[in-house]
Amino acid sequence: MISVATIGLAVGAASAILPLRHVGMGGEEHMGWSGSRVTGSTEAGPLLRARVALTGLLALNRSQAVYFTRTVDDLGEPLREDCHYRLVGGPLPGKWWSITAYASDDYLPQNQDDALSVDASEVTPDPRGLWQAEVAPSPNPAMPWLSTRHAGNFDLTLRIYNPSRQAQQDFGSIAFPKVERISCGDSR
Amino acid sequence: MRGGVRYALAFIGAVAVGHMATILAAPQVIMHIAMSRLSGGGENVNVFRFADRTTAASRQIVRPSPDLAYASCVYDLSAGPILVDVPPSPDKGYVSVSVFAANTDNVAVMDSLRSPEGIRFILQKGHKLVHPGDLPVIYTPTERGIILDRRLAPTQAEFDRADKARRGDRCAPLG
Repeated sequence: MISVATIGLAVGAASAILPLRHVGMGGEEHMGWSGSRVTGSTEAGPLLRARVALTGLLALNRSQAVYFTRTVDDLGEPLREDCHYRLVGGPLPGKWWSITAYASDDYLPQNQDDALSVDASEVTPDPRGLWQAEVAPSPNPAMPWLSTRHAGNFDLTLRIYNPSRQAQQDFGSIAFPKVERISCGDSR
Repeated sequence: MRGGVRYALAFIGAVAVGHMATILAAPQVIMHIAMSRLSGGGENVNVFRFADRTTAASRQIVRPSPDLAYASCVYDLSAGPILVDVPPSPDKGYVSVSVFAANTDNVAVMDSLRSPEGIRFILQKGHKLVHPGDLPVIYTPTERGIILDRRLAPTQAEFDRADKARRGDRCAPLG
């Protein structure tokens, strides 16, 4: 009986941890980006607290920063190291923003490319206010580069610091960047 | 047959207990591990420590931001309140100071937009003690936790400037 209970406890623990690691922050999804308005706040329930602890420990509450994550491109396909993606976005509602790739172990990709993120200071908006950046294992000289070399299957995290009050209250009001797949493997 | 049902019920009950216990315990356990790592195994509490620039090799905290310079203080209020003093970055660069309780809650956050001349406050547990004076008082529900100083530093040059400024951070018992 004791061994049955022990196995049951282990299965129960695993059944809690696996979805926590792979489901993301829950909450809302807009344009492929998901985030929660209670991340880091005292309003968070036990499930979100556990998710934050496992995948985003020491996250700030939304008055200071809002966080969004996505694991798929605009076609719904998982983000992969062997693909080239184009980020296309406009102004984001905050004092500053950055987009970072994380490998499936929730740490930064193991490369020395010095291109671990793209941020508001790197992009150059065109006359319409739109900017572009490359997310890929190799750079595109024409635009800022976020290296995914050695990232495997990865996710993207968008951080908007000092977000506007409207953005804090209504994530749907944010014009999130698109993630367009350009090519995969040797097809480029 | 009856024994089989008993085993099945015990298994299902254990799965449910294991599932719920993991969800409830995960924040405290993971924060405990983080506090241990950030304080050098508990050797450095109530003092700021300064992380190197985030690189692909950074492994202390999951999902680190490569654009920020971090300084952390693992606090222990068992001997009383502490005074936290964080000077500004040069050129009014973005600085935020956040206080986390042992259950991962971000109980307070201050930034350089509201406090451009530096961030200074008293941190204490519960609402029982009242400190006279002009300094703001932050109350945390747990005796231990983490204070995190984040400074915008997306380039090596900006990191170097932020690093120089953060060396003035203080997190120490009152008086």
